[in-house]
Amino acid sequence: MNRSIKSLYLALVAGFGVLILMLGYWQVIAAGGLDERADNPYQFEKQRLVDRGRIISADKVVLAESIAYRQKGNRYYRRYYPQGALAAQVVGYATPQQGSTGLEQQYNQYLAGSYGAGAILDKLRAAQKEGADIRLTLDTRVQKTAEALIAGSRGAVVAIDPSTGQVLALASSPAFDLNQVASDFATIRKQSGAPLVNRGTQGRYPPGSTFKVVTATAALNSGKWNPSSTFDDPGKYVVDGQTIRNDGGSKFGVHNFTDALTFSINTTFAQVGKRLGPSRLGGEMTKFGFGRPVEIDLPSDEVAVSGRYRDGKLLSNTQRDEDAARIAIGQENLLVTPLQMAMVAGAVANGGRMQRPYLVKRVITKDGVVVKQQNPETLDSVASAYVSSEVSRMMQNVVREGTGTKAGLSGLSVAGKTGTAETGDPNRNQAWFIGFAPADNPKVAVAVVIEDTSGTGGQVAAPIAGEVMRTALSATPVQGEPQP
Amino acid sequence: MRLRTREMYFLVPGLLLGILGLAAAASARTDTLQAGPWQTALGVAMVFVVMHAVLRLRAPYSDPYLVPIMAALTGIGLAELYRIDPALAGEQALWMTLGGIVFCAIIVFLPDHRVLERYRYVIGLTAVGLLVATMVFGTTVNGSRLWISVGGGQRVQLGELAKVLVVIFLAGYLREKREVLAIPTERRFGMNLPAFRHMAPILLFWGLALVVVVALNDFGTALLFFGVFLAMLYLATGRALYVGLGMGMFVAGSLFIWATVPRIAVRVGSWLNPFGDAQGNGYQMVQSLYALADGGLVGPGFGRALLVTPGGTPRIPELQTDFIFSAVADDLGFVGSVGVMLLFVLFMARGFAIATAARDGFSKLLAGGLTAVVGLQAFIIIGGIVRLVPLTGVTLPFMSYGGSSVVVNFGIVAILLIISQRSRQGLIDAVHGAPAA
Repeated sequence: MNRSIKSLYLALVAGFGVLILMLGYWQVIAAGGLDERADNPYQFEKQRLVDRGRIISADKVVLAESIAYRQKGNRYYRRYYPQGALAAQVVGYATPQQGSTGLEQQYNQYLAGSYGAGAILDKLRAAQKEGADIRLTLDTRVQKTAEALIAGSRGAVVAIDPSTGQVLALASSPAFDLNQVASDFATIRKQSGAPLVNRGTQGRYPPGSTFKVVTATAALNSGKWNPSSTFDDPGKYVVDGQTIRNDGGSKFGVHNFTDALTFSINTTFAQVGKRLGPSRLGGEMTKFGFGRPVEIDLPSDEVAVSGRYRDGKLLSNTQRDEDAARIAIGQENLLVTPLQMAMVAGAVANGGRMQRPYLVKRVITKDGVVVKQQNPETLDSVASAYVSSEVSRMMQNVVREGTGTKAGLSGLSVAGKTGTAETGDPNRNQAWFIGFAPADNPKVAVAVVIEDTSGTGGQVAAPIAGEVMRTALSATPVQGEPQP
Repeated sequence: MRLRTREMYFLVPGLLLGILGLAAAASARTDTLQAGPWQTALGVAMVFVVMHAVLRLRAPYSDPYLVPIMAALTGIGLAELYRIDPALAGEQALWMTLGGIVFCAIIVFLPDHRVLERYRYVIGLTAVGLLVATMVFGTTVNGSRLWISVGGGQRVQLGELAKVLVVIFLAGYLREKREVLAIPTERRFGMNLPAFRHMAPILLFWGLALVVVVALNDFGTALLFFGVFLAMLYLATGRALYVGLGMGMFVAGSLFIWATVPRIAVRVGSWLNPFGDAQGNGYQMVQSLYALADGGLVGPGFGRALLVTPGGTPRIPELQTDFIFSAVADDLGFVGSVGVMLLFVLFMARGFAIATAARDGFSKLLAGGLTAVVGLQAFIIIGGIVRLVPLTGVTLPFMSYGGSSVVVNFGIVAILLIISQRSRQGLIDAVHGAPAA
């Protein structure tokens, strides 16, 4: 009988051998595919296990952090936004149910600690993942000012440091409380005014007269005009059988190019645009970054492209059959984002060099190791230093004595340009202001847009821009550790 | 080295595995270093120490490895139960204490297992009675009718006891009939077969196994009973043909049931393609596969996998019983779960070594049968978890939660050690002369 005992034993051992092979298949070979299945609850759970990194503003205010809690013996992390709705669309959220947006999405691999070779080692060791913090360029003092000024209306404020491209404020109203996303997302969705939309980067508005900064730069670049070039305004300009008039039907008579920008004279800019032609004006637009996505560190679906649209489709900047006279005054299906217009102002402020805008200065582990650092980067040169200083002087005149006086700051020279895009309904103007300060040594460039207002850019947007710039200029660097 | 001293040396790491496992699971719950439920750990360790002491007194020559292997398996099981729900570990410790009492009682009051041979038919009839009682009075739990309520909210799984009784009966019956079964006297269907009257019990058993499948709605128990029967038939006759025939008949019968009973067909369907109905019939299987995948190569450690929802509900239904192996695989990864399987292989190695060393047919068949029943049961449930066979509701010996299972498996080890003691005692007596009676 001993022979059959041995055979039986060997048969059972062989059976266990098959079990080991199959178990190895499930635990090692097929494991990756199983982990990624949509209905695998472990993925959902693992998100809650990660001690996500914090999101910290330039002035050391914590905008997002993970708070540990225990539940039935397991340690989980809950995302908490100490500032609630502050910079909500920029910070974004990260929930298993609603997905993720904003910086929470863009920097997820760093925040969740799945970067570099450490991630693989952690998986092997089954170690708890610890995310890295991200340090923003955003300054909550500027952001708060901006949000307070546009609260109650629909609109956006973008403030950047023109010499570096660092985004100081990116405000969008209405906003939402980030802490409410996990508890009551349905209510946020139902709110009017689409609070989830980041109007600063996603909102597409007709630029109105703020686009004249682009036209003016193109005109000076062409060498055909200078700030003192004279024009005669009869009150209207007929092009291709259509009449372009000035705001309120004004007649300015003989004036120079600086006056044309100062008082936003449509007939003159239309004439300049017509003579530049769509090809030349379009080429200048391309240099300013129109017609392609802005390379900012936000999810690409949260950044709209500025440019000319027809039936919802983006057109080439240099499309030949277009009416350059209307483009020159910001019409003709031009749609732009506040971020793009802040970059236009920033490029003029920065001696013609447009800087790539960015929100995250560096990614840093909790032990202080810098994992990733972003440095200023010049995207394109839109004008020579000389031309940009001339455009700057023209824009200073706008604030000193033209349509943008309400953006003025005492003791400082401010450059700017107003815009009022009319929709046909006098109570539904889109009021604009773009500008920078101090004009002789620019530290901040802004773009402000207010939707659906009865006021003009000079009345509604200019004072907001002035206040935001004043806050940005007075915001001194904050030393020390982040304040919770 | 004396055998019991060797047992002690192996028992220490075996017990430490459970004690440290419990501490690790407790530490994982709070994320601080914890001693864990040390009273429970100490109590279970004491049970094993007492068992060891009883063996020193009453069965000093018995195999020294089985108890340490059992200690290691129960220790890992206890730590896994603790991580699922501390209350389960407390109850399981009580069952293990009861198991230890049964173990010691068998060692003390059954000095010679061969008396069992005399009562083989009584035992066999009792086994059938237990199964019939389960069929008639059984409570249906999770679709399978395997339990009998005994009042006080307690349920007894009579099938667990029946499996041991069946092995005892078969050991006695096959010892008696092995010659006539081994020698074919008739030629039918091109095969040399024994006389029909000797074949009848086999056919009867086959029929019974299939009845169990349908009546108890439990493929695992049927597979286990039939597998043990074939294993012992092979041990007794040495004829692989019977095993082949028996398996063929079982598969044919199963296919017939699959084709005719819709409920069984659904089960088979969710075995072949659990993802086809991942939220319904395939749910348990799919969740278990996710747990295996999550464990990966190494696993996060005792109590650190996400097996239990924040609400305290195990992600896999029946995690503490049928799917305790999935919990091990998730917490300890492939390495840990292979370790558990190797412990079962070691158990079988010792059990079959006892069978080989035994000096009479009944002892060999009994030891071989009891070892096979433990090995096969582990194979069937783990095989279900890795989808080698359809998923079944049998427990993983020594590890699953449940009093019936724990007590019966402790009893199995006690009988194996008695057989071991008898054969070695006899050997020593033969060399040194029998002690004066």
